[in-house]
Formats: sequence, structure tokens, C-alpha cells
Amino acid sequence: MTTLEAPLTAQPRKPDNPRRKRRSAAAHRFRVWGGVATCILFLLPLVWMLLTSFKFQRDIFSVPPKVLFEPTLTQYVDVLTRGGFAGQMLNTVIVAVGASVLSLLAGAMAGYALARLNIRGAGTIGALILVSRGVPPIALAVPMFLVARSLGVTDTHIVLILAYCSFIIPYVMWLMRGFFLSLPKELEESAMLDGCSRLGAFFRIIVPISLPGLLSTFIFSIILAWEELLFALILTNRSATTFPVAIAGMVGDTESGANWGALAAAGMVTVIPVVILSLLVQKWLIRGLAEGATKG
Amino acid sequence: MSHHSQTQRFPRRSTLTGIAGIGALLLSACGGPAPSTQDGGGLGTAEEHVQITMMSNDAFAQTWQDQLVPEFNKKYPYIDVTIDSTPYDSLLAKGLLNGTSPDPDYDLITLDDPWTPQLADSGLLLELKDDAAEWTEDDYDWDDFNTAPLAAGEWDDGQYGVPLRSNLLLMLYNKDLYQKAGLPEPTANLTWEEYMSQAPKLVQDTDGDGSVDSWAAGLTWARGVLSPPFWQTVLNSNGGELFNEDMTPSFNTPEGEQALQTQVDLLKYAPSGASTYNYTEPLDAFRQGKVATLFTWGSAYRSAAVDPEVTTLTPERVGIQTMPAGSEGPGAHRGIWSGAVFKNSDNPEAAWTFLQWMSSKEGELWASNNLGSFPARKSTLSTEPEEEWLAPVFAATQDGFDVAASGEMWRPRAVDSNAIQEILANETSAAVQGDKSAGEALEKADEQIRDLLGK
Amino acid sequence: MAVQSLDTRRLRTRTRAKDVAGRWVFLLPATLLLVAVLAYPLLYTLQISFSAFDLGTFAPSEWVGADNYSRVLRDEAFHNSLTVTGIYLVMALPLQILLGFGIAFLLNAEWRGRGVIRGLFLIPMVVAPVVSGGVWKIMLDPLWGIVNWLLGLFGVSAIDWFGSSGVAMISIVIIDTWRSVPFVVLIAAAAMLSLPKDVFEAASVDGANWWHTLKSITLPMLAPIIAATFVVRWLGAVKMFDVVLSTTNGGPGQDTNVVNLYIYRQAFQLLQFSTSSAMAMIVLVITMALTFVFLWSSKKMEDRL
Repeated sequence: MTTLEAPLTAQPRKPDNPRRKRRSAAAHRFRVWGGVATCILFLLPLVWMLLTSFKFQRDIFSVPPKVLFEPTLTQYVDVLTRGGFAGQMLNTVIVAVGASVLSLLAGAMAGYALARLNIRGAGTIGALILVSRGVPPIALAVPMFLVARSLGVTDTHIVLILAYCSFIIPYVMWLMRGFFLSLPKELEESAMLDGCSRLGAFFRIIVPISLPGLLSTFIFSIILAWEELLFALILTNRSATTFPVAIAGMVGDTESGANWGALAAAGMVTVIPVVILSLLVQKWLIRGLAEGATKG
Repeated sequence: MSHHSQTQRFPRRSTLTGIAGIGALLLSACGGPAPSTQDGGGLGTAEEHVQITMMSNDAFAQTWQDQLVPEFNKKYPYIDVTIDSTPYDSLLAKGLLNGTSPDPDYDLITLDDPWTPQLADSGLLLELKDDAAEWTEDDYDWDDFNTAPLAAGEWDDGQYGVPLRSNLLLMLYNKDLYQKAGLPEPTANLTWEEYMSQAPKLVQDTDGDGSVDSWAAGLTWARGVLSPPFWQTVLNSNGGELFNEDMTPSFNTPEGEQALQTQVDLLKYAPSGASTYNYTEPLDAFRQGKVATLFTWGSAYRSAAVDPEVTTLTPERVGIQTMPAGSEGPGAHRGIWSGAVFKNSDNPEAAWTFLQWMSSKEGELWASNNLGSFPARKSTLSTEPEEEWLAPVFAATQDGFDVAASGEMWRPRAVDSNAIQEILANETSAAVQGDKSAGEALEKADEQIRDLLGK
Repeated sequence: MAVQSLDTRRLRTRTRAKDVAGRWVFLLPATLLLVAVLAYPLLYTLQISFSAFDLGTFAPSEWVGADNYSRVLRDEAFHNSLTVTGIYLVMALPLQILLGFGIAFLLNAEWRGRGVIRGLFLIPMVVAPVVSGGVWKIMLDPLWGIVNWLLGLFGVSAIDWFGSSGVAMISIVIIDTWRSVPFVVLIAAAAMLSLPKDVFEAASVDGANWWHTLKSITLPMLAPIIAATFVVRWLGAVKMFDVVLSTTNGGPGQDTNVVNLYIYRQAFQLLQFSTSSAMAMIVLVITMALTFVFLWSSKKMEDRL
């Protein structure tokens, strides 16, 4: 699309050039506006969620749907003062960050080994790891509970962090393996010539230049852990409960009927931190992925 | 003020133990339930409070913790009660997990109507009438309970639970919509025949713009735990029953088919999308004045008619009564939340004391006047409630208990009650969806339940 | 020069044994963790699937052989849930991959707002399934949902989004697509950025038209990425159950009762832990087999290109 940047006054050499240029400019406009339109379309449910979060329960269902209504903060107050919602948010942060950091450490090292260290059977291990992402979580949940109970660690952050590693580590390994494959080999070779051990070369040379990849992988890990419901439901009771469990309760068996307003408000409260985080690192997200995911 | 303490009573082993323990996983066996302490743990002293915890359904955990526990503490200041809300869907499973744990997190649980048999049969609950007799107050009046709600906590000649929140499947109606349709207000004598003949008139255009904007009925049609009770209630009110005395299915009869057909036919007089109605959707439709009658749990009355933040209706315009009558009289269906003590609790005495207070004449009266929950005791139901809107609700509830008790209008009492209910839900909803005829659906359900129970 | 190379050679010999160990050090943390949280639980589940389960102790009791499996294989509802899952995957996967790459192409257009648009596009991905299910449920409500109301403005009569079997599955696919496409878009956008630009320029100087460029240059270059994205999305989609749980709950009837939801309910609501373990193992085997088929064919495809 660099043709666009050519000065508009330039005389065309080939007779078909102006048409091509016009067409390409039109194509560019189409892409820009198409992108904006699609984005708006995808954001509409979120707009509706935002509106709903400011409604009284009686205004949520009406014919025609109410765009103008008496706004209220009651749903937010309800959610934020609900016993322990703040604590549940904190738990979610602890568990998501804990699981992501642990998985990133273990997964990046393993991904590096598979990508670079000529380990026999690396291909098979890689495929197995990829496949392990398809393990139905239900196949893990019951044994995990039994084990956690016999160790006396149910309802702790650590048990949830470990449980989340079961699906985040394979994910990290897969992403980081691709990322490391894209790095030039000479990097760690020269480092090792300088007397670094493999581990030293990895942490001193490879990790710093892989920051974009690590960062984007970290964000995705956070997202995966952030919204997990099943393990949280089974492995926690009170001290380590995460917010998806609380939200599941809001639309569950309540006598006044599901409170969609509170659900929307809780949704907004829980989405905003992740959105801010990912907007902040948006640039690195794409860059990290560009080198990682694409080398499958 | 209460002495509610925020102390954690969970043993928190360190992270290191957890990780180091992974090696030991392969060796670890799972212990059975630990025997409860003999002395019951006492009721606490000013120096040393007793801490008890309860796992409770989401719908009321918060109000209980904020309002009911402080009231309880006025009488028992040395028992600290913590109530955790657990999503309905995982409550039974988690109760089972807790009850079998050597190191349980909870002393108490709220049990939905059909759950007592499963937990009691696995030996996880404390028997309250005899085994806990030494901790029972002398004036705790067992005979004052209506039989229907008390029976929800019974299993195998033992009493494992006491009613904490009683509920009944009843009929709510919108008086304005009946008036607009030119129909007389329903009475307890209304029969299904009459109701079905009036239903077409309740599908009406209320604002005169030429399109129908209000329908006759709302109820649970979608497959789920709440869909079979409607059919069962119609069946019961025609004298039919789910099981005969030796737990053999006995619903696959012309009465059963007719009852299911009623549920299917009512869809014709319901708003579009009604086949997906669970609990919330028909309630929303009723609150917005879109359906004239709502067959739902009586506890919905408050949010359907009273709370202005939630509903567009008012108590004067919403009636409540038992469901239309069949050949044997009106219908209702019991839905009781019972409270039970885990057998492996370290403080069964304090736990049972809390349940006793909640279900005592005093506690129940306080809860119905202050939290609007429905009582199970005859004495409470015969009082004049402080809230005016509760009066007709109490009347309907007492009627409902009577008919439920005489027609055994409750869900199957069996260890497999959830599995039975699942089969009934699958098959009755297949009929509702039009995948099968009512007769075929019941045939299939009968066959599967016999298979399940080994009959 | 010579001294240095001699040094390195000596260094290499000395560290050869250490090196093999050194390589495995990298795999050690992940291996330990995965054995503890993945392999061990799976073996435990395998054991439960061949045992009876005692609810009184909440532990597997006696060995019952293949009883649970034969029961599961006779279970019509389980068969139905497998079929339903198949239908969902066949509808959702191609749609999501196609949309993902299409939208990525649009979003990669270079202009000032690109970063913001791409950032905003991420949001649906971070809305927890329970929440997005709820929000879509109120939007698609046949009586007062905004979607039917908007369609009504164009004269479309009310659609019962969750009420009839075919439509309910379409609704599930729409919601799932809304949540999942952003991830596909991200990967696709990244992949397209990594394609060499000069190939396109050369093509456009050659006078190749847009369609031709797409067919003969872009697609072949994207093929391995599309395949990789497909496998990743497949592994996510095959586990899907929370969107269904929070919208149709498997209905109408059993028409959207995907296998993971079915197993979840068998286990945690009906407390049938043995049979649900057997189901989970069956699903695991099917998933594994299909994944290897996909990996194998994408490798074949890559080799051919």
C-alpha cells in the first residue's frame, strides 16, 4: 500500500496508473471504514451492557427497549458492596497474576528448550503439549479436588494457581516456542562463547530481547485465568473465590429473578482493568504475536 | 452490635507444603468423614467465641448474614456465624465434598427440597430429633410445623433438616389484565377446565394498536429442575402420583398424559419465546404486565408486586392463590429450603442452636416480618403479619401446605432424586418442544426411571 | 585466534555431559508442573472411570471394569451431546477463521486510528463468558430484546433466538463468535504483518489484480498460519460450555447440550462421577485423535506448498 504515499501530483508513467491509484485509494478507504464499522458492530453489545448497568431492574425489559431512562448507580452500589466482591476481585488478580507468572517462567523455558535445544522428540513433545490444551477441564476437576482436599489446600490461592497452570503452561509453551524459533541463532551462541551457561544465556540474552513476546503471552495468560469458572467453582469456597463464581450467582437462583443490571455492572467492573492493561500494551501485543503465533 | 468476627478458621498450609506435597500425591488416600466431637463444642463464652459457618444458596446468604445473624447474636452473643453464598448449581456437590472431608470448612448447609435423601443416606448429616436431643431447647415445638415443610428434612425415619425458608408453587395473577379481558378474578375453586377456556381471552391487545401485547400464562417450560414440578402438580391435583408406595413409577397414565398436555397447551397462550422460559423470564414478563397469570414460587410475590425498583406492579393489583383445581382439588407444590448440620462438624451444638433459633417460633416470626420469607409453622402463619401485603400470601401459603400434604405434592424422595428429576425434565421438555407427544415422552421417562431404579 | 578456538573446543568437551543435563533443566519446571496438574489428574480420572464411586467417602471404590463405558455408550443423551458439539464446531470454526482473517485484513490498513481500533477490538475477548452470555440473552430476548426491535424497524418479524433448535444453535455460534473472533483477528493481524511487503509490491507492479494477488501469493503464504490458527481455535472451541450454560442451558430440549456441559451436569449436579469420568475420557480420546489428524494434514499441506 506504499503507492498511496506517492505524491498525488506525480505524472503517471503507465496509462493504467491513475485508475490503479484511484482503485487502490478506494480499497484503502474501504479497509479503513470497513474496519471501523466492524469494530463498532463488535462493540455494540458492550454499549448495551454499559446502558443496562445504569438501569433499574424494572427498566431492563421493556418494549421498545429503553435508551432514555432514569439512570441509577444502584447496580454498581449493589455489586461493589456485595459481601466480598472487592475481595473476590483481589483474589482474581492474585490468582491470575500468580498463575501467569508461574506458567510464563516454566512455559517459556520449556518453549525455548523445544525450539532451540535439539532435544530428541521435541516435535512429539510439542504436539502433545498442543493437544493437551484440548483436555476437557471436567476430566481434571474431580481429581484435583480430591488431591487438594487430602493435602488440606482447598480454598487457597495456590491450589487455584496450580490448577490454572494445567491449561496456561501448554499455551505459553506453544506461543513462546514459535517466538523463539524466530530469533536468530547467533544470539545465544555468541553469549555462550562469552562463557555464559545455557541458562545464563537464556536469562541474560534471550529473555530481554523476547520481552514483546513474553508480554503478549502474559496478557493472554491473564485473560485465560481471569474468566475461568469451573475450577474456581469447585476448588474454592470463600477465601479464594474469584469473581466469575460471584457473577454466576447473580444470575442463578435468586428470588427476584436474575438481576441483569447487577450482572452488567459487575461485567463492566471486571472488564475495565483488563481493557486498560491490554490497551496500554497494545503495540507490543501485536508485535509479540507477530513473531510468536505465526511460527506455529 | 454483633460480635461477628472476621477470623479465618481455615488451616492455611503454606505454599511450600502444597508444592512439596505434590510428590506425596500418589500415595495419598482419601479419608472418610471424621467422627464428630462428643461434647458438641459448646455455645461459646465471652472469652472464647464458637465459630460456625454455613454454606447457603446465593439467594439469601447475604440478607441472612447482614440482618438475621445480628438478631441471633442478641440471644447468643458468643456464637459467631459466617454464611457463605454458594451458587445453586454447585451447592449439592459442594455439600457432599464438605460432608466427606476430614477437615470440613462448613458446619451447616441449606438443602433444597429434594436433596436431603442423598446427603442423609450417605451418612453426612446429623439426625436432629433424637441424636441432637440433648442440645434441643425444651420449648422447641416440633408439632407446630406444618407436615409438608417438615417432611422435606425427613429421610428413613430420621429428621435431618428443619425448614428455614418455605415455598410453594402457586398462582399469581394480574387483576388489571383479568379486568381488561372481562373475566372474573380467579378464586381457589377455579378449575383447569375453566382456566383453559378463559386463556384465549387473556391473549389480548391492551393498548388498541392492533397487535397482541399481553398473554395468558407464564411458567417454567425450559428443561431444568423447575420444569417438571408444574406438570407434577397438575397430575397430583387430579389424584395421580409420580410413584406408588414401593417407588415404582406410576405417572405413565392418562392423567399424567393429560397433565403434560396442559403444560404443552399453555404455550399457545404465552408470549413468543416462552418455550425457553425458566424462572426469571416468565417473572419478568409478569412484572412488565405481559402475562395475566404466573405459575411460580410464592416467594416471587415480593419482587413481582412489592419492590418498586424491580416491578411495575403493586400489591393491590396482584392476587395470589393455589393453582387451579383438578378432580381432587387445588394444586400446590412444596419447595422447602431446609437447614442441616454436617455430621463431621466440630461444633454441632452451636450449629444446631443456630438452626433451632432460625426455625423457632420467635426466629421464624422475626424472619417473615423482617425478611419477608415464608414460614413453615402453623403458629406463624396464623399471625397478622407486620407487612400488609403478606396477609394474602400467608393465607395462600397455609392453603398450599394443606393441599400439598394431602396430595403429596413434592418431588421424589429418593437418593436418586436428582437423576429422576433430570429424566423427567428431559422428557417433559421434549413434549413441550414438540419433539414427542405427551404420551411418548412419559413412556420414555417411565422406561428410563425404571432402568435407573432397577425396577 | 588459534588459542581461542582451542579453548572453546576444550570447553565443549568438558561440558558435553553437563550440556545434556542443562537442556533438560529447561524442561524440568514445566514437566514437574504438568505431571502434577495434568498427567496425574488424568490418570486419576482414568481410574475413576473404571471404578464405582462412593459418595459417602467421596472416593472411587471397587473396580468395575468397563461397566461405566458400556453404560455411557448406551446413553442416548451422550450421543446427542456429541452430535450437538459436532454441529457447533462445523458451524463455528470455519466462520470464525474466515471472519478473523477478513477482519484482520481490514484492521491492518495503515492509518492513524489503527492502534485504537485494534485495541478496542480486544474487549469482547475479556468479557467473562457468564457476563457475555447474560448480555446477549437480554439483547436477543424475543419479547424485548434490542436485536429483534432493530430488526423490526426493517420489517423483520420477531425471531425466537433461543426457542427453536436450529436458531438456538445459530445464536450460540453468534455469541461464541463474538467472543472468539478477536483472538483469531489478533493472530491473523500479527501473521499478516510478518509477511514480506515487497512481494505485494512486486505483484502490484506486475499488474497482478487484487484477486490474483490473493489467490497466488497471499493465501499460500498464509496457509500455514491459517492451519495453525485453526488448530488452536479448535482446541478452545471443543471445550466450550460456559456460553451455553449462561444462555440456553442446553435447550431447547437438548438441542444445544454440548458435550462438556452434559458431562459437567452429570458430574456436579447428578453426582454421577464414574460415568462422567468415562465420558470425559472418551471425549479426550476423540479430541486427541482429531487434533493429530489436523496437525498431520496441515503438515502435509505445508509440505506441498
